[in-house]
Amino acid sequence: MASHEDTGHFHYHEPGLQHQFEDMGQQEESVSIGMWMFLVQEIMFFGGLFSAYLVFRWKFPMAFAAGSNHLDAFWGGLNTLVLIVSSLTMALTVFFAQKNRRNMQVIMILLTMVFGATFLAVKVIEYTDKYNHGLVPVTGWNKKTPPGVEEHKPTAPCWEHTEHVYVNPKGEFQFKDCSLAKMAEEEGILTESEKVGYYNPSTGQIDADKFRDKVRIFYYLYFVMTGLHALHMIVGLGLMSWLLFAAWRGDFSFQYYAPVEMSGLYWHFVDIVWIFLFPLLYLLGRHFMH
Amino acid sequence: MGLDHDEQHIKIPGYLLVFAVLVVGTILTYFAAQIDLDWIFPGANTLLALVIAFTKMTCVMLFFMHVYWSPKMIWLSAVASFFWLGIMFAYTMQDYFTRTIGVFTP
Repeated sequence: MASHEDTGHFHYHEPGLQHQFEDMGQQEESVSIGMWMFLVQEIMFFGGLFSAYLVFRWKFPMAFAAGSNHLDAFWGGLNTLVLIVSSLTMALTVFFAQKNRRNMQVIMILLTMVFGATFLAVKVIEYTDKYNHGLVPVTGWNKKTPPGVEEHKPTAPCWEHTEHVYVNPKGEFQFKDCSLAKMAEEEGILTESEKVGYYNPSTGQIDADKFRDKVRIFYYLYFVMTGLHALHMIVGLGLMSWLLFAAWRGDFSFQYYAPVEMSGLYWHFVDIVWIFLFPLLYLLGRHFMH
Repeated sequence: MGLDHDEQHIKIPGYLLVFAVLVVGTILTYFAAQIDLDWIFPGANTLLALVIAFTKMTCVMLFFMHVYWSPKMIWLSAVASFFWLGIMFAYTMQDYFTRTIGVFTP
């Protein structure tokens, strides 16, 4: 309560004003700056992963393109649209809070939650698909086939790989097709560090296992980056549940809607991360597929 | 932001317009990735994808996150975060770019 006016009379202050602030303007500015400081740290947090991506993609572009081509760009694109719609409904939640429209706020928060949950559901579909195809980069975390059925050694080189029977008794990471590296080799665009990374030193040919291990790096980054992003979505859904309750109770008005606005900033930030993840993970090798 | 709580910076048509830009950007980035642009220069596809992503991000930050109407301090935070990110990328890559000197090149 601002009490530096010694009038002794009733001093009006707005219902949402905390006692340590002079007025609503100062309060809102402080709250936003605090939230932005948090978001800046989040940018650096994801930035570490993006720089790991940058380093390894620069080192092994063809392995990254090959890994990316095994992600489903349809699901990735759909999820991008789902998140953009949820960002719109989130922005409208703030708008309706400023307009004192409780019911529309509640509806918009519910829609945001529905789209957020849709995003996570699509993610589950994608992760399941990776599990079923031996693309989880941790041994034992993929679908196992019954033991005893031995995989026969491929006779053709990995760039002529055509077999598509899934045999994986130990649940290992599997990636047998190195045709993209072969194509780059023939076109003369394989870099020196890629040659060191892919070639078998004794034969001077592309080695299936060495190439697979570089694709595995892509899948490590894919799972860590999208997994961290999905974790942020789950936290966001938690925030939304709390916001839904508070909005339904009628806590927010044109005078006090900071929690709505701040949760919105967080939600939009998570959307922005996906805006970058989508092209960098799903689309980077598409133009080689023809 | 600030003292003008009841003043609307942007109304529903404005939000829908930003939304439309984001959807168009997404569709564009999807189809642009299918076309081989390597004839311009190697990596042109990636550059185009990043340009679209940056445009989308700018739209979200300026209008959905209300940075456009925010105090200078918020502008500064937003810009500074990318500045620090740039430093991290630049110094990481200058290390990796120069590691092969003496290995593959004399």
